[in-house]
Amino acid sequence: MKHLWDYGVNDRMPEREWCPSAQQLRQYAEASGDFNPIHLDEDYARKAGLGGVIAHGMLTMAQVGAMLTDWLAMEGELKNFDVRFQGMVRIGERLKCSGYIKDKDGNDLICDLKVTSEEGEKKLAGSAVVSLKTEDRKTAI
Amino acid sequence: MNVNGLKDLIGKESSPVTVRIEDHAVRKFAEAVGIPFDNKVPPTFVITFPQGNIEGFNSAQDGTVHGEQKFKYYQPISVGDSITCIRQIEDVCQKTGKLGKMTFVITETKGYNAEGELVFKASSTLIFPEGNA
Repeated sequence: MKHLWDYGVNDRMPEREWCPSAQQLRQYAEASGDFNPIHLDEDYARKAGLGGVIAHGMLTMAQVGAMLTDWLAMEGELKNFDVRFQGMVRIGERLKCSGYIKDKDGNDLICDLKVTSEEGEKKLAGSAVVSLKTEDRKTAI
Repeated sequence: MNVNGLKDLIGKESSPVTVRIEDHAVRKFAEAVGIPFDNKVPPTFVITFPQGNIEGFNSAQDGTVHGEQKFKYYQPISVGDSITCIRQIEDVCQKTGKLGKMTFVITETKGYNAEGELVFKASSTLIFPEGNA
């Protein structure tokens, strides 16, 4: 198993796949308190020019957050996490969250992040700064 | 939405709102996202904290689109923590795109723990279609 501190520039982090469902959007609305009808009401979303309900941007960001948290495990801490929402995410779309190390600065890994659909459509672009935890390294096998 | 009215609100702080991070709320959030609940607070969970009122600004409007989101984390956040959030409007501008005239509002939220330490900063860019009251 590769340790976080072994990652170098251009290395990719493990990807995360996601396919949103209508039920997930309802669950996320309940859990986050965001009941904006563009995520829940088909008619409303169509009238708003969106073509149908779209996933909460923050639900998409949460998927990228999950990818990062899994990757960091106990070996790093998230310091910065920034995203730009580029495309509507729809129910049933097969999406991939991915990221790679753009730069290494001391104990910090600067990462480039994105979410794309199967067709290669850009849904999200972002970046993260991860700080390596130094204490654990001495005791790690 | 009145752009000039919003511009007048730049820098005005909301009333602070304190919330206790409850394990059932984090569990519900984790389940909705599709991750196991391991008693840790997922990084985007802070977006669920109730926001203080900025008089004259209604951010929870139907039809609002989220453009960008940024987080800076300063201290670890745990289940059981009490976090106090204060929000303010950072910038307001108007642009015209394919869906018509849109108003862009950037808000910044600062979260503090019970010791008064800055725990996180969040910056949201929200896009309001024109005509929304």
